[in-house]
Order: sequence, then structure tokens, then C-alpha cells
Amino acid sequence: MPEEAAGMASVLRRLYLSVYNWIVFIGWVQVSWSMILALLEKRYEAVYAAVEQHLLFAQTAAIMEILHSIVGLVRSPVSSTLPQITARLFMIWGILRSFPEIHTHIFVTSLLISWCITEVTRYSFNGMKESFGFTPSWLLWLRYSTFIVCFPIGMVSEVGLVYIVVPFMKASEKYCLRMPNKWNFSIKYFYASVFFMALYAPVYPHLFHYLIVQRKKALAKSKTT
Amino acid sequence: MKVSVVSRSGREVVRGGVELKDSAKVADLQDAIYAKTKKYYPARQRLTLPIQPGKSGKPVVLSAKASLSEYCEKGSGSLTVVFKDLGPQVFYSTLFFFEYLGPLLIYPMFYYLPVYKYFGYEGERVMHPVQTYAMYYWCFHYFKRIMETFFVHRFSHATSPVSNVFRNCAYYWTFGAYIAYYCNHPLYTPVSELQMKIGFGFGILCQIANFYCHILLRNLRSPSGNGGYQIPRGFLFNIVTCANYTTEIYQWLGFNIATQTVAGYIFLVVAASIMTNWALGKHRRLKKLFDGKEGRPKYPRRWVILPPFL
Repeated sequence: MPEEAAGMASVLRRLYLSVYNWIVFIGWVQVSWSMILALLEKRYEAVYAAVEQHLLFAQTAAIMEILHSIVGLVRSPVSSTLPQITARLFMIWGILRSFPEIHTHIFVTSLLISWCITEVTRYSFNGMKESFGFTPSWLLWLRYSTFIVCFPIGMVSEVGLVYIVVPFMKASEKYCLRMPNKWNFSIKYFYASVFFMALYAPVYPHLFHYLIVQRKKALAKSKTT
Repeated sequence: MKVSVVSRSGREVVRGGVELKDSAKVADLQDAIYAKTKKYYPARQRLTLPIQPGKSGKPVVLSAKASLSEYCEKGSGSLTVVFKDLGPQVFYSTLFFFEYLGPLLIYPMFYYLPVYKYFGYEGERVMHPVQTYAMYYWCFHYFKRIMETFFVHRFSHATSPVSNVFRNCAYYWTFGAYIAYYCNHPLYTPVSELQMKIGFGFGILCQIANFYCHILLRNLRSPSGNGGYQIPRGFLFNIVTCANYTTEIYQWLGFNIATQTVAGYIFLVVAASIMTNWALGKHRRLKKLFDGKEGRPKYPRRWVILPPFL
């Protein structure tokens, strides 16, 4: 009976993770496709408007991955999942969605290109792994190599966009709380964002190093197989 | 007795090894290593036995007071130890002093000096009584901690890595400034007088209780620093394993009730989380050590740190 229960749980886990990964994969394919169409028909300025709805869905769905880490459904440590997802969510909701003034900037395009390449690769890799139990070697290589280029480009784009948005942030006083109030608390979105960006300096090198280590393990394993 | 000293990668730390009397203690070996290297003083050294090939598990750490012969194979006249440099060390009293000195100096700066001019608030600032009492409470708290560091606490480990100074000071000084900023703010909104009295009264009670807890803990350790873990007894320790942390958390709760700032509550949550981790570790260790077997006393049923939740 316990064996059957464990087997059932394992099947359910794989089924759930398969569905999750393919759904989000479709989301990112839609983002990619919309972006390509916008680039072909118009110019990079039109990219954000074309992808916004798909992007909000696909990236926000990634919150589930933090839960997957916490619950133990996947082996990724929370310490690597949490900062990545948090930074992404801050970027799409806190910056892009909140400040239309920067939608036409080229950094939006570079950001989205780097994200799309990484995410389409990653979710298709995960989807195949959970659904079929194997992945082609070219997909494995892509999964563990694309970040080398996309990660720095994404990071530069993120920092660049925050830098560009700062004057609009100050002017709008969006997401600000002033004193006096009963709880004696105040917040200026500008300071919070600068603080958040400052966290990139220690966190991102650590994250990049973690990804490099992961890459060595994964590709080494594939060689011995 | 011949002792080889190697690094974890196998490199010889002391060329030719160390020759010692058969009756030598680990501390003598450490002194000899320092004499030869001129750099790795005893507090920087972490000596362990080599891990047997194919075996896993944690390596055995050599205790300074133990005899070297305890770690030798029966009848063998030689020993190999693995050396690790822990980096520059500072006394715990030094670490604690600078941790607590920061908040003690920073908070009054926000109270007395016109620092809010730089945050865009010109003109005169009217202080509420609660802000004055909060300043006294805060300074009393950190002054008490400094005094306890020098005259009450006994430390199981003599020293701490220097890197901890920067980390711990960043934590205490940043939170100190953060809370000070809001508590002394020109646009500060005080709570009712009754709430203030309840908060500070409760907080002072807990600070005094905390002091008494520290006295009890101090008496668990003999002046020479001998003796391992013991079951704390008396006062709140009869109810809670880490009553010192309990009273620490509650005294900050009292402060927050009286001053009511989000910054203060954030600090409370962070501090409580850190102390809860420590408390869980200690509780686990004590229960494992005092399991009621082989003549050992059984650890009584107690809360860990925060009854009735944990």
C-alpha cells in the first residue's frame, strides 16, 4: 500500500510538472512569436506592446517555481530560484508595466530576446524531461549554454531600464507612502528600486557561478551516459 | 612522538613534521605549529584527523585540552593531522562590543542632531515624550549588552573570524539607523499614553528578566571555560530551553508596542527568526545529549523559544 501511494504520488508529480512546463512553454513561445512579428512588421519600439499580455502571464506563472522549490517538487534550491524570479517579477510589474514611458526603449527588446531564448529552451527541456524522461543532446547543450550569453545581456538590460526609468519614477511618486501615519512608515519607490539594484552586485555573480557549476555537472553527466 | 601536519589538499604545512613528547597535549602541538609557521596562532588552527579513504562522515576535530595519544592508533608512535586555517580571529568580546557600540551611538544621533535636514525636512522638530523614552530605552538596552559582554558572558569558543565583525556590524548598525530614522522622525505619530506605558513597562520587565537569564547561563560555565553542555535550570529556563532569547524577543516587542514603527517590527521578525534557528539547534543538541540513557539525565519537556507557539 505505501509503495502504491508513493508510485501514485510520483506519477502525479510528473504529470503536474509536465503540464506546468508545457503551458508556460506555450506562453513563452507566444511571447517570442509576437516579438518576432513585431520586429518584422514594425520596429523594436513596437515589441513591448505586442508581447505585454503574453509576457505578464508567462513570467508571473514562474512564481510557481518558487513553490516547487520550497515544497521539494524539484531539486533547485530556493536560494537560486527566489532571486531570479523576484528580479523578473520586479522588472515586468514594477518597472515595465508601471512606466509606459520606457516601453519603446531598445533595452526592452534586448531584455525580451535574452529572456525568450532562455525560457523557451528551459521549459521545453523540462517539459520533455518530465513527459518522456529524456531530452535530445542538442537541447541539453542549449539548456545549459544559452545563459552564458543571455544572462549578462538580461542583467545589463534590467539595470539599464531601471536607470532610464528613475526620472519618471521620481516625477510620478508612484508606489510611495508618506508620513505621518499611524505605523510611522514611509517608502519611496525610487530608493527601494535603487536598493534592489544594489543587491544585484553580490547576488548575480553568485548566481552566475551557480549556473556554471550546474552546467559542468549536467554536461559531464551526459558524456558518461 | 612524531606528528605530520598536512593541509586538506595534502600539502605539508610544517616541513618535516613536529616532534613532541608522548605525553603532549593538542595545545602543545598548536603552539609548536605556531612556533614553526610564525603565522597560524592557535586560535586560527582547526586540526582534524584525516578521513579514511572510502569513508564518509564528519572528520574528528582535535580538542585543545586532550592528549595527543588519545588520537593515535594503538601502539603507534606517530600521528597525522589535517590543518585548516580559519583566518584572522578576534575575541568574541571585541566582536560584541563593536556590534553594540554602533546602535548605541547611531540612535542618539538621530535624536539629538539635525540629520533630517539632509532628508528634506527643514525647520524645528517637536519631540514627543515617547521619542525621548524610546531613546533612553534603546540606549539602556545596548549599554546593558556591552556591560554583559565584558562582565557576564562566558564564551565557549574563544574567538570568531574577522569576517563576522563586518557582517554582524552591518546587521546591527543598519537596523539601528533604520529604526532610529523612523522613531525620531519629524512627522512621527505617537501612540496613546496607555499603550506607551504598557509597551515600555513590559519591555523593561523583559530586559531585567533577560539579564537574569544571562546570569543563570553564566553560572552554567565554570570560570576556566571547562565543561560541555549542561541542562539550564531555574527561572524561565524551567519552561523554555532558550529563555534568554525569549526575553530578548519580548523586550523588542515591548519597544515596538510603545513606538509602533514598521521598521521596528521588521527588526523584531528578523531577530526572532535568527534566534529561533539558534534555539532549535540548541534544543536538538540538548535532547540528543541528555537522552536518559547510560546514566545520563533525561532532558525535560520544554518549549524551544516562544511558548505557546514553539
